[in-house]
Amino acid sequence: MWWLVDDTDHQLAREALHMERERTAFLAKASSTLLASLNLGRCMDVTAQMAAESLADAALTVAPARGGRLPVVTCLRGGAPAVSTLTVDPDDVPGLGEALRGFPPVPSRWIDPATAPAWMVPEGFGPVGSIVVTPLPGHGVPAGALIMLRKAEAAAFSDEEEVFTRLFAARAGAAMSAARLYAEQTAITDVLMRELLPPVLHQISGVDFAGRYRPSADHERIGGDFYDVHPAAVEGEASLVSLGDVCGKGLEAAVLTGKIRNTLHALLPLADDHQRMLRLLNSALLSSHHTRFATMVLASAVRRGSTVDLRLTSGGHPSPLIIRADGTVEQADTHGTLIGALPNISATTVEASLAPGESCVLFTDGITEAKGGPMGNVLFGEERLKRALSGCAGMPAEGIVEHVQMLAAQWLGNRPHDDMAVVVIATPRTHHLSAVNGHTRGRYTA
Amino acid sequence: MTTHPHPLRLTTVGIQDSVRIEVQGDVDYDSADLLLEEVTAQLAARPALTDVHLSCAGLGTVDSMGLSALLMVGRRTTVAGVRLHLDDRPAYLDRLLELTGTLDYLTAPVPSGAAEPSVTEERAARPTGPDRPT
Repeated sequence: MWWLVDDTDHQLAREALHMERERTAFLAKASSTLLASLNLGRCMDVTAQMAAESLADAALTVAPARGGRLPVVTCLRGGAPAVSTLTVDPDDVPGLGEALRGFPPVPSRWIDPATAPAWMVPEGFGPVGSIVVTPLPGHGVPAGALIMLRKAEAAAFSDEEEVFTRLFAARAGAAMSAARLYAEQTAITDVLMRELLPPVLHQISGVDFAGRYRPSADHERIGGDFYDVHPAAVEGEASLVSLGDVCGKGLEAAVLTGKIRNTLHALLPLADDHQRMLRLLNSALLSSHHTRFATMVLASAVRRGSTVDLRLTSGGHPSPLIIRADGTVEQADTHGTLIGALPNISATTVEASLAPGESCVLFTDGITEAKGGPMGNVLFGEERLKRALSGCAGMPAEGIVEHVQMLAAQWLGNRPHDDMAVVVIATPRTHHLSAVNGHTRGRYTA
Repeated sequence: MTTHPHPLRLTTVGIQDSVRIEVQGDVDYDSADLLLEEVTAQLAARPALTDVHLSCAGLGTVDSMGLSALLMVGRRTTVAGVRLHLDDRPAYLDRLLELTGTLDYLTAPVPSGAAEPSVTEERAARPTGPDRPT
């Protein structure tokens, strides 16, 4: 007796299951590879390469055009992805213009392979058999398009394959879109950083200036400390130094810092009246939406004979310290209100003069509130700073800045810290008439 | 701060026209909003309020964002015509408020009426009464 068993359905089911498993594995691999990178170029490479390996004979990832130029990554099966920027019209390829605008894909059978422009077909590919153009959907805006090519002798894309391609494209688009957003954010941060970097200081009109800024090692890269030195417009008038600390961190702090520096610059003609300057700055910053504020010190310094005359005003900021020639450290007796949060502010200005070899130290609380020491939880503190400074009598401005930053860094060890900024104004010990180094405008004798 | 974080805890007790908020832990970059939200919610929920007491005995560190939040609390209570009291202030909080010139503003005895003076008004009269220890 013979039994005839029909196992066609069983075979089909097994094949379908096998294929489904392979596709799931492919998508899982695509997700993990794509999400491992926040680099847009790398995401485009991976997308083209994976598509060329598993779905087609060649694949192109196309990003949205920028200024009429189309960034394209081309990859042949078994080859390495190649990057190019082409000045072509995406509408020359049926379905590509639509895909880049985020419209649903055109079915493959509607695209005549013979219409493929030369830039689309990789070198040595031969005649094109079929083309699929799939949009890469992004977060709100299209992230680009994926073009896949098969050779003339290969089977055309089935409907099922086109649907699967869209699943892959969804993952690739999300990754490219995230990478693009990240790149834009990094670019914004870089622009702001460049704008906010403190200036390099040097000698101006017979007064030594030195400054150093150590940003917080926090992952939000822009901190809230700033300093500036504005040379006098007219020889013989005072240069203005501003040093301050903006509350908060990140972009909002950076924006406020930028505002303060610009406003102070515009107010320079009023620099002989610190209180008025601070009042105007305060009203410029005041907002009904928030109470973000800055604390700062203004210092006007001008050389008179062998000494430097100072006017110092604190707006809610730790008072500057003055190092005398004999090592005594005095705290400048200036107090005031923080800037930018209260409708009315007040501040007192003190005058001081620095003999040759004496200096004035402006600092932010990142120094005094550095937490560390032998036990790891002690504040560096103002007393310790004063003791350290008393050993700096007679040192050049650059040396004092270096010393203070080094001590704070030692105190901290590897612990996290806030921004730390120090500016030193010093009277140089100049005894001869030839003290001209290219930065100075005049000559001084002691 | 980073080494020994004390998460902020707020305990609110309301008695008739005054409310006491016990502030325990750090008021800093991460938590300052919580304090402001709590005070704002109390001001909204109790229209008859005359006094807000922030009990600061258990206060941890206050960073610049924490101070910014306190200033906003001060602004909101002033606008609402409610007296703000910072009770049991630790010495370091007093030092911070003195350094930043905000002690008078935050411990002024009487709210100066309705809204704050306008931005353009320079050096308008401040509440001139003596500081009452709170």
